Amino acid sequence: MSFGKFLLKRSLQGLVVIWGVVTVLFGLRAITPGDPVNLIVDPAVDQATRDRIREELGLDQPIYVQYVDYLQDLLVGDLGYSYQSSRPVTTMVLERVPATLELAVAATVIALVIAIPLGVISGTRRNEPADYGATSFSLVGISTPNFWLGIMLILLLAVQIDIFPTGRRPVAFHDALWTFLTTFYVGDLLTWLHHIILPAVTLGTYFTALITRLTRSGMLDEYGKPYVTATEAKGIPGVLIRYKHVLRNTMIPIITVLGLQFGTLLGGAVVTETVFSWPGLGLRLIDGINNLDWPLIQGIIIFIGISYVVINIAVDAIYAKLNPRVIDE
Amino acid sequence: MTEELLRINGLSTRFFTEQGQVNAVDNFDLRIDRGDVFGIVGESGSGKSVTARSIVDLIESPGEITDGEIWYNEPDLADAVREDRPEAVDGTFVDLRRISPERRRSLRGTSFSMIFQDPESSFNPSLTVGEQIAEAVEVQRRASANPRSTRARTRSEEYSLGSFVLSSFLPSKRYVTEASRERAIELLELVGIPDPVERADEHPHEYSGGMLQRAMIAQALAGEPDVLVADEPTTALDVTIQAQVLDLLDELQSETGMTILLITHNLGVIARMCDRVGVMYAGEIVERGTLEDVFDDHVHPYTEGLLGSIPDIEGEAGRLQPIDGNVPSLLDHEMGDRCHFADRCPNAMEDCLEHPPEYDAEGSNDHAVRCVLAAQEYDERRAIPDGYFDETRPAGDKHVDPEDADEGPTVDEPQRPLEEPGGESP
Repeated sequence: MSFGKFLLKRSLQGLVVIWGVVTVLFGLRAITPGDPVNLIVDPAVDQATRDRIREELGLDQPIYVQYVDYLQDLLVGDLGYSYQSSRPVTTMVLERVPATLELAVAATVIALVIAIPLGVISGTRRNEPADYGATSFSLVGISTPNFWLGIMLILLLAVQIDIFPTGRRPVAFHDALWTFLTTFYVGDLLTWLHHIILPAVTLGTYFTALITRLTRSGMLDEYGKPYVTATEAKGIPGVLIRYKHVLRNTMIPIITVLGLQFGTLLGGAVVTETVFSWPGLGLRLIDGINNLDWPLIQGIIIFIGISYVVINIAVDAIYAKLNPRVIDE
Repeated sequence: MTEELLRINGLSTRFFTEQGQVNAVDNFDLRIDRGDVFGIVGESGSGKSVTARSIVDLIESPGEITDGEIWYNEPDLADAVREDRPEAVDGTFVDLRRISPERRRSLRGTSFSMIFQDPESSFNPSLTVGEQIAEAVEVQRRASANPRSTRARTRSEEYSLGSFVLSSFLPSKRYVTEASRERAIELLELVGIPDPVERADEHPHEYSGGMLQRAMIAQALAGEPDVLVADEPTTALDVTIQAQVLDLLDELQSETGMTILLITHNLGVIARMCDRVGVMYAGEIVERGTLEDVFDDHVHPYTEGLLGSIPDIEGEAGRLQPIDGNVPSLLDHEMGDRCHFADRCPNAMEDCLEHPPEYDAEGSNDHAVRCVLAAQEYDERRAIPDGYFDETRPAGDKHVDPEDADEGPTVDEPQRPLEEPGGESP
């Protein structure tokens, strides 16, 4: 199978998954008790107004008609209107994407920058002090809940020592970058960096710990394989064996975890965003849930679902490039 | 004219496992002449592979070469070493155990190459075969651009993490150059891979086992080595492919004149390929000599046993004679100070309770045997009674295979006597 065919196949599979997510969400909404009209207007409003609203929303139609309407709207990117604010959900979702994306990327960058060197050191100096340090760190990192870590970081570094802000995102990265590129003013970028460090560390700690462990065990695993001995026998320098052969092969399973985890970061930043009042999708989702704002909840979940699928396809593509056996299997 | 190339004295390689110390190679002596094909034959667990790896310096924890000298005849190397380590040089010979680890490593691929048993697991699955062979070419190319006498001084220019990082951004800084890639394709052609240009860009899983073993031979030849160590090169292949691979090795040997150390449990392979043979048992060579010495004039009952377990397609159809029992555990505390084969030997005598020295035997000058039968006739009155060893060595087998200790679980080699697949009769 060629690479293009492989990608096409994965994309079609992804479409099926998205359709599944969308349908399940529709079903959940349909079986949720309570009249949506009550969420939009006061329950005391007269029946005529209620009927009018019901008709406007299409809720008077049979369920299958509602379903088809819903799919048609989705295809053109229309996620409906928020019950709470009457704004288009699509806008409400998209305007919050950059903040969440920034946080997820920052957390991933922190994780990779720390975890891979740590894992490599740990895996090549097994049972030496450096290895014990790295394994202890990753054990603590994996077992620390991030809402607790976030609060502790705020208490320590924002309240007691006051070197970091407690939260919020005063400037968006793309705006800060634009300012920098047009006026060479770095202030905004630094402000952004200053604000994102604590949330990114909070979100990325578990991830860092996980990747450290995976890298360590993966390296140890790979070093035990006969091809490493055979490569040594060729006289290849140790550095090249470690990075070009062993680390490269170790990264193959890690890429998968990385992709899956990045998807989780997008959706799972809810807690971190709440702790740091980071205005991302997670915070908006919590708002939506608190107000039973179905179109909003639905829109955010669909968006996260689609992101997850897209990331997975991208991961598969990278995986196939790294490990050519995948395409043939 | 023959010239000695390798002279190994008292080599001991031990594995320190939880069950105790395993003497995989014990006080091992060997002489190999330049241009010879020397075969080491023995059952699984007799220490053959560990011997090979000790020579190429591939012993890893928990294993360790604890003793011995490996003298390698290489005038250039001797000149280079003489300055800083005169004790490691004797004429044109250099003791590889006493030179620096860096210099020892620099001999891999250029002076010593190795072919492994299982070609499929001996290639990195995620790089193309061409790339992996080109790497080996590159090692040789850089070594010859940087002769041995100056290599010690240029050590700081060795490949570092910095060079690796740089190479991932700048294609011109890549370790493997275009010239090496082209040479890799030539090598693939040399070992008889069809369409080498396309094949070079394929990954190991796209090759068949026999093709991959050819590719591994190409890779081993890349460094134009003095000594090619072939560790069970045909064991993982089916019989028709085995013959092709052996033919190829034979052909390449006569073309290049390289020395081959062939490790195998297959006497048929030995008979077909080798000039000289060493029969290995429990970490030592028990009988060595020319092919004729070992096949026709052998003295040691173990050699006799090995040969007795080969089917003879021309002779009468009788039952094969297996050697009773298993190879000893090689655990230090269980080895004892006797002839290690005595417990399985049909002709064991009281004298065998002491570890025998190496005796000269009839035949060529090289023929030597580690067995008292070379010096005296078997005397039934002095035979060790049956069951004598059952008390000293528990029947519940604490068998530790030194190769297992080295590589983890290996391919399940049958613990039965040797046989000759495919009837490749000598």
